Amino acid sequence: MRKALALLAIALIAIPAFAQTGDTIKIGGIWTLSDITGKQGSAAALLAVEEINKSGGVNGKMLELIIADDEGKADKAAAAVEKLATVDKVEAFIGGMASGAEVGKIPAYAKYNKVVVATGAASSAIVEKALGPSPGSDYYFHLHPWDYNQGASYAEGWDAIQKKFPSIKIKKIFLAYEEGAFGKSSWDATKLLFGADKRYTIDGAPFKSALLGGGDYSAVLEAAKDFKPDLFLWAGYDADALPLLEQSKAIKFTPKIYLGAPPGWPIGFGSSKLSKNVMLYGMWSPSMNDTNPASKKFYDAYVKKYREEPATYFALLAYDAVKILADGIKLAGTTETAALVKALEATKYASPLGETITFKPSNIIKHQGITRQKILQWQNGFQEVLWPFEAATAAPVFPFPAWK
Amino acid sequence: MNRNLARVVATLLGALAVALPALAGAYPLQVARNVMLYMALAITWDMLLRSGQISFGIAGLFGLGAYASILGVIRAGMPAWASIPFAAAFSALAALLIGYLILRLRGMYFSIVTLALAEIFRIVIHNLHDFTGGPEGIVAPQGVIFGGSASALYWLALGGLAVALGASIWFERSKFHFALTAIRDNEIAASTSGVNIFSWLLATFVITSGIQGLLGGIFVQSYGFATPDSVFSADFTLLPLAMALLGGIHGTVGPIMGAVLLGVASEWLKLQMPYGHLVVYGIIIIIVILFMPRGLYGLARKMARPAEGRAE
Repeated sequence: MRKALALLAIALIAIPAFAQTGDTIKIGGIWTLSDITGKQGSAAALLAVEEINKSGGVNGKMLELIIADDEGKADKAAAAVEKLATVDKVEAFIGGMASGAEVGKIPAYAKYNKVVVATGAASSAIVEKALGPSPGSDYYFHLHPWDYNQGASYAEGWDAIQKKFPSIKIKKIFLAYEEGAFGKSSWDATKLLFGADKRYTIDGAPFKSALLGGGDYSAVLEAAKDFKPDLFLWAGYDADALPLLEQSKAIKFTPKIYLGAPPGWPIGFGSSKLSKNVMLYGMWSPSMNDTNPASKKFYDAYVKKYREEPATYFALLAYDAVKILADGIKLAGTTETAALVKALEATKYASPLGETITFKPSNIIKHQGITRQKILQWQNGFQEVLWPFEAATAAPVFPFPAWK
Repeated sequence: MNRNLARVVATLLGALAVALPALAGAYPLQVARNVMLYMALAITWDMLLRSGQISFGIAGLFGLGAYASILGVIRAGMPAWASIPFAAAFSALAALLIGYLILRLRGMYFSIVTLALAEIFRIVIHNLHDFTGGPEGIVAPQGVIFGGSASALYWLALGGLAVALGASIWFERSKFHFALTAIRDNEIAASTSGVNIFSWLLATFVITSGIQGLLGGIFVQSYGFATPDSVFSADFTLLPLAMALLGGIHGTVGPIMGAVLLGVASEWLKLQMPYGHLVVYGIIIIIVILFMPRGLYGLARKMARPAEGRAE
């Protein structure tokens, strides 16, 4: 009897284990793992895989996420795709952040023609152009807005905010932009979208980001101060946030709106007095937990598993990428590319980011997911959403307070 | 006997390198391409170092070649394959002009000027926005050379390495070796012995820069795009330098050993610890440079010498 029970116990343990190793759907995830967007993105993707597997997997199969580091470089990114496709034999890909690395993956992605749900890479000039039009790039589902999508959504957002809050009037915009691809594409988009119909007067100047060895913003801030902008916007990296504010304070530069647009903010920025009423562009903030149950569910699960707060919206994009892919595989009943592409085209996914993701054509590719970013503001140490109004968590505090 | 054995080993390794696409999959071939690229850059850096001049300009001339290649295709309508020798010629010509101005400098003055090259070229590319694509970069409309065939791209990279190896061996076996060694040992003695120091240095700088430009052309055609941040990356200066120092300087074998070890170690560490490999990789480089200043090849020769003595 004991022997029979022991055999039964072994069988009960062995059967699911066998099923998981022999009957899984492998997904390759590629991020820059030394960066917080990659670290938290991959962690959030693993959380999504865990949730899906706990609820029975996809079509009776368990998901397995195999993570690779692209180091933010094109050659390493290409090697990661080759390894995942030929050694691990994954059936689909997710991930991505830096455009310079993403563009290195594209030739290999195209060669294997497996479905990709991309979480980053906003540069249309290189990534979207390298992907090319449909049908050659139909395997590629791009979640993050392209740079021109972001510019258009900011223009739309500021128009809406000025209409709803008549005390906020913007005529003059100054953009301080880091001299690399990110800053330059922000400058081009700002000139095009805000300056086109002459409703706004635009000026701008580049600076060398502290991330890349810079850190002296006096020239660009003096130029901005002379211009007397209603909206001062800077496009740089997290390392620029505090020094820019310190130097603005030193020269008593107080535009009516002070807005930063880095991909991520320094940890603890909200606890700095300098953060008071600084506005920002982004996709998500923990304050959305109060209004969006999906956001709260993700946030609570992430904090419970990793004992840290998700500090970047790239975590949610990666989480969404897994969920969208799993739903697509479920609907298609296969990971075969043509069927899966067709299934993903029917996506209607209620994202913790506060919007329903569907895929529509963009300027070049056929499958673009999110096209809007949000306008937020640091209020009492927290990021509050100002626009879109359906996701708003607070009203704007205006104008930016004078330095004391 | 030793020389014959070395020739046999080199021939076997060469044959294995050529035949690798028949034996390995796409991933090992991609890793091999990366290793060969850095190996070739390490060799060219070492070739100039044999004169005693330390150059930090690799990324500058590599990036210049990369842009010459992609702009040659996009703006001048060159075939992709022809843009690669064009990239070499363009970088060599740039090096001729720059070298004429800076090769009177010595020691750290020369090094600092070469360090600025990548930054100067990068800023120029940034500001010629309409022609170069500016900071956002530029994409080759025809995509990757050879339709992205893993084998063809591997052989292209192997071809670039063969050029660097051939030039390095030629340097070791020609008058370059004597001239550069004499310059490194004592410039005054070399000069009084009839060595035209400036001409030898200029020739070396132009040849090594031309190869670096060639490798930039191969890189950019293998990925089908160029951005200033990717092709002028400090990695293209610092990694070859670390590889040559690890393997051993003033010869062809040392940079080969260093590139194989660091290149393979980098990829292996990444597989073992995806989240912390760069830290371990950096620590390995620091330890090796601190404790093995003559490199692995130097250490191996030092260990082999007593044994050779006993055999005699």
